[in-house]
Amino acid sequence: MSDPSILVFESHGRIVEGRIQATSVLDAMNVARFGAEAIGFIKTHAGVNLLLDFTQVDYLSSAVLTELLRIHETIKTVNGSLRLCGMNPDIQKVFEITNLNKVFTLYGSRKDAVAKYERSLDILAQEDAWENISKES
Amino acid sequence: MNQNAREQEAATVGGATVKPFFDKKFSSSLDAMGQVLHEALQALVDRDWIEQGSMFYARLCLEEALVNAVTHGNACDPSRAVRLTMTEENDACLICVYDEGPGFAPETLPAPEDSGMGGRGVVLIQHCMEEVRYNSAARRLEMKMRRKPFCMGENDHE
Repeated sequence: MSDPSILVFESHGRIVEGRIQATSVLDAMNVARFGAEAIGFIKTHAGVNLLLDFTQVDYLSSAVLTELLRIHETIKTVNGSLRLCGMNPDIQKVFEITNLNKVFTLYGSRKDAVAKYERSLDILAQEDAWENISKES
Repeated sequence: MNQNAREQEAATVGGATVKPFFDKKFSSSLDAMGQVLHEALQALVDRDWIEQGSMFYARLCLEEALVNAVTHGNACDPSRAVRLTMTEENDACLICVYDEGPGFAPETLPAPEDSGMGGRGVVLIQHCMEEVRYNSAARRLEMKMRRKPFCMGENDHE
């Protein structure tokens, strides 16, 4: 019997939510599987706007941070984007201590994250449009 | 390590011959590491070194130190062992992780750049633990913690 998935993917408009499963403890033992599932999905979904949801994650190790950077690099190669949400205060603090809160966009609760992500994509699209207009003139 | 050397080790580390309340050795695999990590955290809870609020950070530091010993220190070589000891020294708990590799100097680690890999775990340990030292000759990482919620930073209050 194969291990259950760590990530479950669900589309919400332009955003794909990757929900990390209940009681997931992302540690040295399963981090490779987490990374493989995420990267496997990204490579088959060019241009994906991925929102990783940590709501059900109680703990993560620093190996997960390295894996998230790998996921981030991969998603850039398919012209996608990556944002994170739903982290508990301890996990947020880990991102602050390691300055990764400056690398990743961290949304608060999952409830607002999808809407904020959509809005952010709208703003980026508008900026691109203005840039193209100013180049043409 | 024979008995005399072990006592010498204890005297050197503690400043007095204090026996560790936790002393386990395991071969360099993540599975074996996971079991020892679980037992070590339980030992810290049993002796009131950590409580619910600090469990996350204690686990983070211990796991980081043990994973570093397994993967970097011992290069995941199952013939090489990792040893974890925890010793009470007055109001501090001294945690030591020994590997059997060639040794390294933490100051030679590059600062964890935003896009860099590795080195982050050391930053986390240094942030959470009161003192962190790597004794390259003894291939021993020493971390010291006190009996209070740690890793609170600017929010440190009773």
